[in-house]
Amino acid sequence: MNKLKMIVILMAMFFLLFSYSWGASEGEILVGNIQDMSAGTAIWGQNDTNGILLAVEEINARGGILGKKIRLITYDTKGDPTEAINAYNRLVDLDKVVAVLGPPTSNVGIPLASIAERKKVPVIGDFMDERATTHSGGVWNFMFLTEPCCSEQAEIAASYAIKELKLSKFAVIYNKANSYSVKMAIPFMSYVIKHGGEVLITETYLFGDTEFRAQCTKIKNANPEAVFVPGYVKDNALIAKQLRGIGVDVPIIGNNSWYVPLIELAGAAANNTYFPNNMAIDIPRFQDFMKLYEKRFDMEPLIHACMGYDNMNILADAIKKAGKLDPIAIKDAIEQTDYLGVMGKIKFNPQTHRPDRMPLVMLKIENEEYVTIGEYLAPLD
Amino acid sequence: MFLQQLLNGLSLGGVYALMAIGFGLIYNVLKFSNFSHGGVMLIGCYTAYFAFKIFHSSLFLTLLFGAISGGLCAVIFEKLAIVPLRKRNAPKIYFFVNSINGGLLSEYLIVATVGVFFHTFPDFLGTTNINIGQISFSKLNLTMLIISLITLFGLMWYLYKTKSGRAIRAVACDINTASLMGVDVNQVISLTFFVSGLLGGLCGVFLGINYTIYPQLGKLIVKGWMASVIGGLGSLLGPVVGGILLGVLETFLTAYISSSFTPILEFIILLMFLLIRPQGIAGVIVEEKV
Repeated sequence: MNKLKMIVILMAMFFLLFSYSWGASEGEILVGNIQDMSAGTAIWGQNDTNGILLAVEEINARGGILGKKIRLITYDTKGDPTEAINAYNRLVDLDKVVAVLGPPTSNVGIPLASIAERKKVPVIGDFMDERATTHSGGVWNFMFLTEPCCSEQAEIAASYAIKELKLSKFAVIYNKANSYSVKMAIPFMSYVIKHGGEVLITETYLFGDTEFRAQCTKIKNANPEAVFVPGYVKDNALIAKQLRGIGVDVPIIGNNSWYVPLIELAGAAANNTYFPNNMAIDIPRFQDFMKLYEKRFDMEPLIHACMGYDNMNILADAIKKAGKLDPIAIKDAIEQTDYLGVMGKIKFNPQTHRPDRMPLVMLKIENEEYVTIGEYLAPLD
Repeated sequence: MFLQQLLNGLSLGGVYALMAIGFGLIYNVLKFSNFSHGGVMLIGCYTAYFAFKIFHSSLFLTLLFGAISGGLCAVIFEKLAIVPLRKRNAPKIYFFVNSINGGLLSEYLIVATVGVFFHTFPDFLGTTNINIGQISFSKLNLTMLIISLITLFGLMWYLYKTKSGRAIRAVACDINTASLMGVDVNQVISLTFFVSGLLGGLCGVFLGINYTIYPQLGKLIVKGWMASVIGGLGSLLGPVVGGILLGVLETFLTAYISSSFTPILEFIILLMFLLIRPQGIAGVIVEEKV
């Protein structure tokens, strides 16, 4: 009897599972979204997704695109590249989405590039490592980055440190397992060396590390004029605390992961830091976005929310321009993007699928507050 | 530089020791590696954080909140996941698997209820450093090292000088004989979970202060497990020695070789211990008593 019950329940479950129709119904455009929603970088994934949702709601309220409403399908990758690939395949093969919005993490963006090339459904995201958008033989046709790439960011930070702060002796500590962090450290160091500076010491760590005092002590001993720390936000905060904790008080040069919530995490240890960012609170277009976001979600947005919002709007424009729901036509239309978003003007270089020389804002942390210095372009030298 | 690194290693080791002894306590009594201890640390840390947010408690009170909630959490885990297994005399592997479940469950519970945003405790003691010549040490780290030591001595006193502490050691020594001698084994096991949870909660707050508060914090229990293996599972003092050794070892490997080789070398050392000297440094041979 029990067995019979079990079989009936199982059959009902299968029936329910398969009665869910994959693919779009009439009058809908399906857009995929792959983000870390529950693991180490979930704080970004959730913000990115919120930004996308905000854009989707606005677009649908205006009547959608081509007379159809957008439906977003989000899969959680837990920050794991394997899960991200599965999610992409599922979005393309089963859900039949027209395009995918990607996460702000390079470790996920890089493996997606070659798969997107085969499956021919475009991905728009914020994987800053150059390898997510180009390879040695040219551009990954279906990958698009909507912010300055790693080397541009690293060079903006380096040139600011050398030319404006007049620093020349640096220590560098980066996450060896995080392609984003590596791809910031290397151009930073080459720029410094090219401009007559010195890199006194290079220290590394891995994902999940929380104890950096051994590395910080070595940095202290090398006696640099500044320390370059291009990690993810929690690592940056811990390194700041531990550097200051053993008495390293020289300026820290950061990356775009030194913004909110860094000060909350590191407190006074964050002071005396200079870093480039996609955004600053006193830029009007960001203030407008903040108001929108706070009204909808009742909390402050991180920069990743702006990224999601911009990415979705770029995609919507491209679908409109393509005039049909064909991923390849949409990809061609994305290439023609000329869009002024929250993060600035985005226009892709056809050779790289990255926006060329998009400005970044240099900020400094003083008395536990972010202070805007000004907008900077990637240096040409 | 050497002295500074030694000091770094010792203060890290103090935290590992605290983690390992709470972990080892359960191993002593029930003979399984209790990975739910990571979850206990996590819950302790988050509860202490919210207690701090609401009451603006001092460092001492926040630690107390963390410890007590850790203790309660461990007892709840024992009642829900361990007691049913003990009742039907289940194999030790079930205990082990259940403890991993407990650890993961607490992580996802935090993700689902509190969310993934990072939190921090404030600078309880300010950010001032103590400088002695070339050596610099943050006040907070020093305070934590002292509190760890006091706690460890307190635990030793409890285990060796009080009646209920002696009962825990008796059960650890031989659960059946202790029961025949009239010790209420079930009660003692709950008590052990509570004491282990107190240590776990305390340790969780330390970790939160040091490394920010985030849902994956409980995964650091792997270090506690490593410390227990090196020090000797089944011994009471072994994990303390193991923890301090591991902290110093990790710091020196990172300082003088490279951070990318540290985990490799650590696991090789661990493997060697398991192969050559499974009883650990303490040298107490524990046999499974089934």
